[in-house]
Amino acid sequence: MTITLYDFELSGNCYKLRLLMSILKLRYDIVPVDFYPGRQHKADWFLRLNPFGQLPVLKDDDLVLSDSGAILAYLAKKYDETGLWFPDDPAISAEVLRWHAVADDITSTASAARLALGFFYDFDVDKAQKSAHRIFRLMDEHLWFGEKAGRDWLCSPAHPTTADIACFPYVMLSEEGGISRQDYPALRRWTDRVRRIPGFIVMSGIFPAGRALED
Amino acid sequence: MTLSLADPTWYPIASSEDLPFRHVYQGQLLGRELAVWRADDGNVNVWENRCLHRGVRLSIGINEGGELKCQYHGWRYANRSAGCTYIPAHPADAPARRIQNRTYPVREAYGLIWSAANDEQAFRPFAGAEGYDWFALRPMPVNAAPEDVLAGLVGLAPDDQPADLLPGLAVRFGGTCYFVQPVDAGRAVIRGLLREPPADTLATLRHYNEILSKLRDRLERSAARKPTPEPLQPTFEKLSADLATMPDIAIPRGNTITVVVRRKWTSADGVIGFELAARDGHLPTFQPGAHIDLHLPNGMTRQYSITNGPGELMSYIIGVKQESASKGGSKVLVETVREGDLLSISEPRNNFPLRRDAIRTVLIAGGIGITPLLSMARFLDKSALPYELHYFTRAGETVAFRSELEALHGKIIFHTGLPRTEIGTTIASALGQWSMAQHVYVCGPGPMLETVRDTAAAQGWPEESIHFEYFRNDKVIDNSSSFDVELARSAMTLHVPSGKSIMEVMREAGLTVPSSCEQGACGTCLTSVIEGEVDHQDVYLNDSEKRANSCMMTCVSRAKSARLVLDI
Repeated sequence: MTITLYDFELSGNCYKLRLLMSILKLRYDIVPVDFYPGRQHKADWFLRLNPFGQLPVLKDDDLVLSDSGAILAYLAKKYDETGLWFPDDPAISAEVLRWHAVADDITSTASAARLALGFFYDFDVDKAQKSAHRIFRLMDEHLWFGEKAGRDWLCSPAHPTTADIACFPYVMLSEEGGISRQDYPALRRWTDRVRRIPGFIVMSGIFPAGRALED
Repeated sequence: MTLSLADPTWYPIASSEDLPFRHVYQGQLLGRELAVWRADDGNVNVWENRCLHRGVRLSIGINEGGELKCQYHGWRYANRSAGCTYIPAHPADAPARRIQNRTYPVREAYGLIWSAANDEQAFRPFAGAEGYDWFALRPMPVNAAPEDVLAGLVGLAPDDQPADLLPGLAVRFGGTCYFVQPVDAGRAVIRGLLREPPADTLATLRHYNEILSKLRDRLERSAARKPTPEPLQPTFEKLSADLATMPDIAIPRGNTITVVVRRKWTSADGVIGFELAARDGHLPTFQPGAHIDLHLPNGMTRQYSITNGPGELMSYIIGVKQESASKGGSKVLVETVREGDLLSISEPRNNFPLRRDAIRTVLIAGGIGITPLLSMARFLDKSALPYELHYFTRAGETVAFRSELEALHGKIIFHTGLPRTEIGTTIASALGQWSMAQHVYVCGPGPMLETVRDTAAAQGWPEESIHFEYFRNDKVIDNSSSFDVELARSAMTLHVPSGKSIMEVMREAGLTVPSSCEQGACGTCLTSVIEGEVDHQDVYLNDSEKRANSCMMTCVSRAKSARLVLDI
């Protein structure tokens, strides 16, 4: 197998795949795509890979895939021998996909605010920020009651799933879009836990957390 | 009601459970952002959320258990004092003691963390607090003015249970208390307490969460119809005059601190441990390798290394060797000082700073020389940095601080009763050949230090990678010469006769000269040399520093030339 990631270093959606592939210890090649300022994701050669003109794209031998959430599910189902990252159980699969959808909402709000402030996109920053706060509020509540019930992650299993990977990057990068996480203490604690998953890697703007336990 | 930046009221700023192991919580009170973290010893720190270096939020930093490390350039700050303990860009230097972040008062009570903008008021339990096992509800942040939030909470009271307003934006009805944390002019957090833990925890928490969510939505809708209040504008206080001006040329001995001997115990045959505790609050920040001057009841001053780990500021633990009663100092300590006695100590000084950027760190201790190295090992240990500690003791000597050493995770090797020849080969193999970013720290008896320095040099270790601290100067001081010293800044020329040190002559002339050990070991009296050739007799400077002829110790070193010009 040869995996190739069409990647933009500052993209949270590309980082999701780098993060899962690092956790799963997968080797892959990178083809850099200059999303900004080059707008290469709208170039003809890229549109032939993904007509939607969105990053990331992943090639596994001859198979060409797009959409970060779909690729996370593919990588987990194909390469995670433990079956934990995208569990087969129908109810849990539905739970994971539910949070993949939240991840897309985070992209269209928190990530949009970041693109407006950092990449000069002509978006309604105020609206994007307010909508992101509404999602973060719900996530904080979900995670706070999760902690009370002994659940550390977004979904019910006792381990992280691709749902956590999918939601994590643009939560962590929210301050670049002017969205403070001060009012979401349980959300902040969850980001500590994600950052302590063995195999965790950083990207620009996403820092490591301290060690969790004394060994 | 308008919020005041100077409001001295204690407000809750977090729940106790918001501060799990190795987390940094981001909070805010009266417009001031806070970094809140619990150290491994349980102490809660409430600091200004801003690194002194580049202003980056400390709430994105790393809680290392005893120190908080800034994410940006790695400056570290100690638990309790918020004093800076390490600056990675200056790995070989001890940071100035005065680099200290702003701290706010803190109390943990009733399941909440409380703080205040200043320490003008003592913390007091709220009315009716005593006698109950308070249970914290899920905090509810609200984007509305704190006084409006309070009014909204009052409105929650049932008709037959009128709300009872408590001082400090709080209200009570039935068995529930609600506190409003004034985050800013237009932001608040509702922190609710139930008088006792409910039978069905989750259902009760969800029930109150629903009530408070609805209240929040109502309050935010009405706040959206009003003009947004102007956020509070806290000012960052200007640098103190102390920090903004050059220090005096001659620094007096510094303030002494009174400590109480909380514990005195036998750590090993011939080594007595002393725990010296602050009488009130915590002791000053120290760095690994630092020592204190201990002013003894008989008028003598002795230096002892601090053995503590990072952020341990409630007391300093030192080890005193019984028989090294060279000038009667240790003897007085061991024989006459009892638990409960008061002693005077200096603020910590560090002539033996630890680099924390090494690829390999070798610590070599001989006998009581373990004390500064134990502190270094503890710092490296907390940060999960690799190190090897070789601890040499004589035959029949027992190992001091054994249980403390065994609690560490690094490579600790005890060498007991080796013959002299074997000590040399053991040191040689412990050191190995030098390569980039390897550092050795050694503390022990004079001959052992010489062996390590010589062996390391022979195996390619450059001088700047060999760090040592002498307890004392065993060399016989030759004070037979006589010469003149010209003090450039003081515009005076003094004659130093044989039998007197430069320091003694300067003091007789009325100058204030800082000093500590007065035997060329501690480095306190380090002075710049402008002209003349120095006759170095100290053990503080290394060979290349001595050769450079640019500084000297005025307590023991003298002149080879007829005249010395000093920068004093």
